[in-house]
Amino acid sequence: MSSRNVDIIVAGVGGQGVILATEILGDAAMRAGLEVIIGEVHGMAQRGGSVTSHVRMGHGIYSPTIVEGSADVILGFEPTETLRALKFANQETTIIMNSKPIVPITVSAGTHKYPPFEEAVKQCKNFTQHVAVLDAFRIAEGVGSSMAVNMVLLGALTATKLLPVEEERLVRGIVEHVPAKFKDMSLKAFEAGKIALSPRQSA
Amino acid sequence: MLMKGLYALRDPRVLLQDRPGEKHLLLGNEAVARGALEAGVHVVTTYPGTPASEIGDTVSQIADDAGIYMEYSTNEKVAMEVAAGASLSGARALAAMKMVGLNVASDVLVALGYTGVRGGHVVVSADDPDCFSSQDEQDNRYYALLANIPCLEPSNPQEALEMTLSAFEMSEELQLPVILRMVTRVSHTRGIVTFGRIQKMKTGTFVRDPKRLVNVPENARGSHRILLEKMDRAQAISERSVYNKISGTGEFGLVTSGVSYNYCVEALQLIGATARMLKIGVVNPPPTRLILEFLRSIQEVAVVEELEPILENQVRIVAGELDGRIAVHGKKEGFFPRYGELSVRLVAAGLAKILGRSLPFNYEDIVRKTTEAAKITPPRPPMLCPGCPHTASFRAIKAATEGKAIVATDIGCYTLGFQPPLSVGDIFLCMGASAGLAAGFSRFTNDPVLGVVGDSTFLHGSIPGLINAAYNNHKFVYVVLDNMTTAMTGHQPHPGTGTTATGKLTKRILIEDVAKACGIEYVRVVDPFEHKTAVQTIQEALRQEGPSVVVFRRPCVQIKAPAEIWAGSIAESLPTDAQNDKRNLRSHSNGA
Repeated sequence: MSSRNVDIIVAGVGGQGVILATEILGDAAMRAGLEVIIGEVHGMAQRGGSVTSHVRMGHGIYSPTIVEGSADVILGFEPTETLRALKFANQETTIIMNSKPIVPITVSAGTHKYPPFEEAVKQCKNFTQHVAVLDAFRIAEGVGSSMAVNMVLLGALTATKLLPVEEERLVRGIVEHVPAKFKDMSLKAFEAGKIALSPRQSA
Repeated sequence: MLMKGLYALRDPRVLLQDRPGEKHLLLGNEAVARGALEAGVHVVTTYPGTPASEIGDTVSQIADDAGIYMEYSTNEKVAMEVAAGASLSGARALAAMKMVGLNVASDVLVALGYTGVRGGHVVVSADDPDCFSSQDEQDNRYYALLANIPCLEPSNPQEALEMTLSAFEMSEELQLPVILRMVTRVSHTRGIVTFGRIQKMKTGTFVRDPKRLVNVPENARGSHRILLEKMDRAQAISERSVYNKISGTGEFGLVTSGVSYNYCVEALQLIGATARMLKIGVVNPPPTRLILEFLRSIQEVAVVEELEPILENQVRIVAGELDGRIAVHGKKEGFFPRYGELSVRLVAAGLAKILGRSLPFNYEDIVRKTTEAAKITPPRPPMLCPGCPHTASFRAIKAATEGKAIVATDIGCYTLGFQPPLSVGDIFLCMGASAGLAAGFSRFTNDPVLGVVGDSTFLHGSIPGLINAAYNNHKFVYVVLDNMTTAMTGHQPHPGTGTTATGKLTKRILIEDVAKACGIEYVRVVDPFEHKTAVQTIQEALRQEGPSVVVFRRPCVQIKAPAEIWAGSIAESLPTDAQNDKRNLRSHSNGA
């Protein structure tokens, strides 16, 4: 396992389960003997607004937020939220993006337009060539529930091999953090996310 | 569409385990709760508010098992009073609130400095630099200065636990309340926390001491001198506190505190600089002798802190004793902003300027490229949930007033109603202000005037404003959006829900009863989903000669209110009032 620090931005919409995903990541890293700091967003933003969590693991870390242009991974739960998180990207950053849009009220109210998906990918590639996309929503539905988008994306993150944490620790984290009745489905979603992000899936 | 994700099911009872040395990944606020438990806290009071809410929410879930008395008080002032009463009876007590909550409780805080406390009394103020969930970004360290009481400031969850413990000890030693100043980036940061041992609860009894506790002017004059003497002792504690630490080497010095310390450490690494650093944990009273020693050991100093230049001003005063030998840099010259939250980037940029170094990253390039991406990224403001009863209430208000009313709104999810397409809400200031504001507007306009307030906010801060409206006969309609919970902050119960902080059934305070008792003659309860009745009721209320109250009652879509309460609400108020409404729509009599 790598000993260097890993900074992950998890960007999504309030209600998508960003905080659970980051808690599982954080617990797994702590058990792997790493320092962990997670900067979360609670409160008003959770009413369907943008939510960005900063997950940092490694040694000698202090700041609860990641420096602009220095994330190792951006885990985008939604295309436009991925775009909003691009200030944390550099040319080495790996971007994992869920392709399923959640249309914000500004679009349904007609004051703004939702960008075509190819445009979103293009903007990501303006920062880095390491862009992987998957339809986490469809994959989650495929294993039983669209609620498991966060688990699919955790699986996809594992597939990148960028985490300094063994996969078994993440699996254990899922088992411990997810309500019992969703456990099997969550593990299936995690596995499906991992498979979906084999190298040929890169956009 | 709002998507639902899987949520964490973490058992807060993990906090109850008396296993010193065990490590857990905790939010800063959870660490405060654990720290209070380790300190043997007996009473915890709060009014929910981001970023403080998880302190009370965490304690509410373990209170029964831990033998802690915990309550959601009607507002922060009451929370502080209940905690003070417990402390003066010898128990350790903690009152937690967001920073604007301390505005509400400030009357108690200042007086409590004069009387002093007995059992440790910790006041948690969770500040919100960058206004993540607040109407301002006030710096509550000023309250410590104003009230002359000590203030500790942790930089991470581990320190939040340790400083909560120390704050109790310091409070008992000095017989003064102690402020633990959190900020969003400590409260809502998750980090590894090592548990300590859980102390046994201390109990005591109230001891009569009117000279100290009855703040009549004759006593208060003496108490002020005693307070200042206590702060002299606090100064000695601060000078030797382990929370005021010097580290590092070099001729360049950094004075910092709280979350800013983290940014300083990484900013120095980023620009490849070293510094001798003084991290101040006891921000009031600051360790002035230590600061002087520190300044003597360096040639030049920068002060890095969020929001107000409080430490910076202290350092400048102390530096004055060195006859201008040392240059002090900070907000005064514009190296660091006096608004918003800091970050590694902002601190690195300021330090790079001071030290004449270059930044290792091209931020302008990042800004240029993100501006491109931002052009195609639609904004995503928070919004009311699908099926939210507030949306129905706002539609009724708009229909009844044809969108022409001046609306003083208030604090809660429904504040979001000011956004298009609903666009209901012309002003909001602070908790409960809608009643007084509406009264003021009503005196100087011929347009219809409405106040809009949520159930929890009504009970928190609107009642004096409503009594005033009845007493001085201000003509406006006060619409109470009763969704039977404190929704925005995480669905905490309040006096109108009929349940306590620990989930027990209790006396339910009905808003319509309160309104009538305040002297309001026209009071109606309506289900906002009954659109026609809702519109007609607002219109009828607007025709009254004085103030009127319309309660739009329907539970928040995110909760399942206990069945007996919701049933009770229907049985007690809805059908009867709905019938009354029908009757009253014909005759303008006061039938409710």
